[in-house]
Amino acid sequence: MDALHNLLLGFSIALMPVNLFWCLIGVILGTMVGVLPGLGPAATIAMLLPLTLKMDHTTAIIALAGIFYGARYGGSTTSILLNIPGESSSVVTCLDGYQMARQGRAGAALGISAIASFVAGTVGVLGLMLIAPPLARFALRFAPPEYFALMVLGLAMVVFLAGESMVKALLAMLVGLWIAAIGTDLFTAESRFTFGQAKLLGGVDFIAATVGVFAIGEVLVNLESPSGAEIFKLARGLRNLLPTWQDLKDCRFAFLNGSLVGFFVGALPGAGATVASFMSYGIEKAFSRHPEKFGTGVIEGVAAPEGANNADAGGALVPLLTLGIPGGNTTAILLGGLILWGYKPGPLLIQEHPELFWGLVASMYVGNVLLLVLNLPLVPLFAQILRLPYYVLYPLIVGISIVGVYSVNNSLFDVWLMGLFGLLGYLMRKLDFPAAALILGMVLGDSLERALRQSLMMSRGDISILVTRPISATLLAVAAAVLLLPLARKVRSWRFEAIEREG
Amino acid sequence: MSKSKGDLAAAICLALFGVYVISVAAKLDYVSEVGPGPGFFPLWLGIGLVVFGAALLGTALSTPAARQSAGSWKGAGRSLAGWLGLMLAVALLGRLGFAPTFVLLTVFYIAALDRRPLPLAFGVGIGLAVAFHLIFVLALDVSLPAGGLGF
Amino acid sequence: MNIQLRIMAAALAAGLSAVAQQAQSQEFRPSKQIETVVHTGPGGGSDLFARAIAELLQKEKLISQRMQVVNKPGGGPAVAMSYLAEKKGETHTIGFFTGVWVTNPLTTTEATVTMKDLTPIVRLVLEPAVVAVKADSPYKTMKDFIDAAKKSPGQLRQSGGSVTSRDNLMRLLIQKATGTQWTFISFPSGGERLSNLLGGHVQLMVIEPQEAGEQIRAGNLRVIASLSEKRLPSLPGVPTIKEQGIDVPLIPQARGVVAPPGISREEVQYWEGVFDRFAKTATWKQYVEQNQFEEGYLKGPALAKFFDDLTVQMREVLKEAGAKVVR
Repeated sequence: MDALHNLLLGFSIALMPVNLFWCLIGVILGTMVGVLPGLGPAATIAMLLPLTLKMDHTTAIIALAGIFYGARYGGSTTSILLNIPGESSSVVTCLDGYQMARQGRAGAALGISAIASFVAGTVGVLGLMLIAPPLARFALRFAPPEYFALMVLGLAMVVFLAGESMVKALLAMLVGLWIAAIGTDLFTAESRFTFGQAKLLGGVDFIAATVGVFAIGEVLVNLESPSGAEIFKLARGLRNLLPTWQDLKDCRFAFLNGSLVGFFVGALPGAGATVASFMSYGIEKAFSRHPEKFGTGVIEGVAAPEGANNADAGGALVPLLTLGIPGGNTTAILLGGLILWGYKPGPLLIQEHPELFWGLVASMYVGNVLLLVLNLPLVPLFAQILRLPYYVLYPLIVGISIVGVYSVNNSLFDVWLMGLFGLLGYLMRKLDFPAAALILGMVLGDSLERALRQSLMMSRGDISILVTRPISATLLAVAAAVLLLPLARKVRSWRFEAIEREG
Repeated sequence: MSKSKGDLAAAICLALFGVYVISVAAKLDYVSEVGPGPGFFPLWLGIGLVVFGAALLGTALSTPAARQSAGSWKGAGRSLAGWLGLMLAVALLGRLGFAPTFVLLTVFYIAALDRRPLPLAFGVGIGLAVAFHLIFVLALDVSLPAGGLGF
Repeated sequence: MNIQLRIMAAALAAGLSAVAQQAQSQEFRPSKQIETVVHTGPGGGSDLFARAIAELLQKEKLISQRMQVVNKPGGGPAVAMSYLAEKKGETHTIGFFTGVWVTNPLTTTEATVTMKDLTPIVRLVLEPAVVAVKADSPYKTMKDFIDAAKKSPGQLRQSGGSVTSRDNLMRLLIQKATGTQWTFISFPSGGERLSNLLGGHVQLMVIEPQEAGEQIRAGNLRVIASLSEKRLPSLPGVPTIKEQGIDVPLIPQARGVVAPPGISREEVQYWEGVFDRFAKTATWKQYVEQNQFEEGYLKGPALAKFFDDLTVQMREVLKEAGAKVVR
């Protein structure tokens, strides 16, 4: 088998001591970067590019890619422990992960996150190895109508983020969509809702908003009552600090779900890990036997999105390595690195430089194993953070938030925004508006509007383009089904109520 | 204040916000020569906000008093004070730099809001500020706002 | 006694003023990190360009301090430009500009900083562009495409950047010159523009030659015209747009360096000196060739005139394009 032969070639490269060493450095650095909010893998890779010029190219890309997927592993740590999303794709992990931490199950959450990431990362690499070229060609069939349908499906996930009140979830989502609309309109270069501020021309910084709503909002809520000495009870004993076998069994579907959704969505240029994590969370909840428990600390609610954002890393490399098309910021830098080293990324890269591609693929297997081995033992260590008394933990959270948000663009304006969003997050918590719905709107708003307008440009105003194309029609149908689900449930419960009343 | 009253206030605010959004959207082009214009989406967003805001208003008004649950706003004062403290700190970040501002904020949280002894507050504040400096500025080369003292 | 004192005082004064003059006319030398501002995020075009230049300058030992790339994305170049303007008089800060730094203030009210508010240092390259179609498309020359567009006005589609980007402005100019019309669809990322072309969802794209190069080698793309004065050395078989009978003004995409306003004459001279020497190195020439740029070295008053001329040209083109020109 050709693929097997190539993979063996790859392993022989990946397991060379120097490559192994740099893979380790890359994943460790990536994990650290992922843990800290704001400092993203894209910026880190960019900073390290000059150093890589002196390295062997295969070694260099192994190291940089290690940072890339290592960051996905790390992003979950602060989400679970402190409700601070370390990466934009870890926002969904905050929902159930932090609740698990509050219930004393931080260890299990961190552990399952590492395991789900490992499984998904491995699936991602398998996918990259086996179906990259055909997947890339399939991804090319996605034109704006398909992206629009995908985004609608993503927004339909709001159904799964609603607590008691669907109306409140929809309102939160609408506000999120509005926030996404702030900035310059791509098509006409007109500015919307910028209140005359040049700094808002680029829109609201995503990290500032999410860290504000989640982390600062949480701190403000907790400030209401004078604190006791310890917030979270932490289970004693190592066994309680890791997921149990039952936990692993519960997450079987989540592992599969996260891996597949993450990988496929990652392969689409322009759709990112954040979308993938929301979708897999929604799918998990849809197929769960206890959907109402999601949001209160359900372990599958951590496993699914964590898997998704790791598989996404493998998926994102598909268009990059097969067509030379970067899917997002981080892959754009990897592309820049390849160009800087003199390669010409494109469809011929794999044929002409098999050692680069297969060496990278094999090192990703190795990297995933390294990350699992590194992260699992560290879980109890990280969990100790929660033993800090309230009055140390809260300033710590605020401090990390400020540093993280500031470091994205070196902008104090972003820190202001974070503060404002903190107040919003506090009010939303008090009034039972789901914060996740707000974030969903923010994440998807841009892409949704853009895809719709691009589709209509393509069809010259004919809206039927959205339903006449097979892929987009299918996705929209699924979205419709998802949206009608709660309505169907409500109708059923009305009927039950009516029957009860009459009886 | 019960939850229902909170919902009421939120519903009114959101509906009014929706009206504002519509007013801004009206000034933008609804249709441009190439399809929906910049005003298209915001208009529908505004309409959605008004419609659902009204729906929330309806639910809030029609919930019978017996089924209202009392949300507690008792601690809201402390939270608000905490938030104001944070915003003040952000304002000072540019002038004083990260470390001194952070120490002040921590002292405010621990000593003023949490009513713990001042030495403890300063201890935690300075300890954390030093840790931040070591980890972020020195080890990770992240630049933080620096004030007159250089940190 | 008095006279001696006076003579000593005079000598001292003369000596001091000589030292002071020496200090004043002393060259500027950077003594700490150079903040290098770009308007894209990490991985964007300007970011990679700035990093590459920084790397090459250090390789040639033309600069003793580290150049730290600072990303200031937002509103196109608006955030980066206002950041630079705020750094008035500060040394050790420079910015890498592209053509959009000139056009953006013309259409955006909030973008209050223009090129006149910044200190031009040097223009380094001009980026040519080519017109590409999918390899299996029926269009072999620009004429083929124009003819097809005439037959079905508005049906054909081009993928590109924002409506004020060069892609679209060139399209508008060509449309006007040939009396045709086709649709333009904006995609924020280059990757999406290319994938839509390769997927057959759009028929035409304006693309930089180095990006196109690999796709051509793989047999995915065909270049039907080059948007440059002369044929490109890397694509000698591709006629220019003028050669094909379409006479339109070419909108240059320039890249270069600017600095905050109010900096000293010495600092400007320092930077000009650095780039003067840099432009003569073999490393630079190799970089230009590898990336298929056009040499476009310009500095001083000629550079200022370039900005002025470009502003006037862009204002005209934008007005014709129907964009709202606010400045």
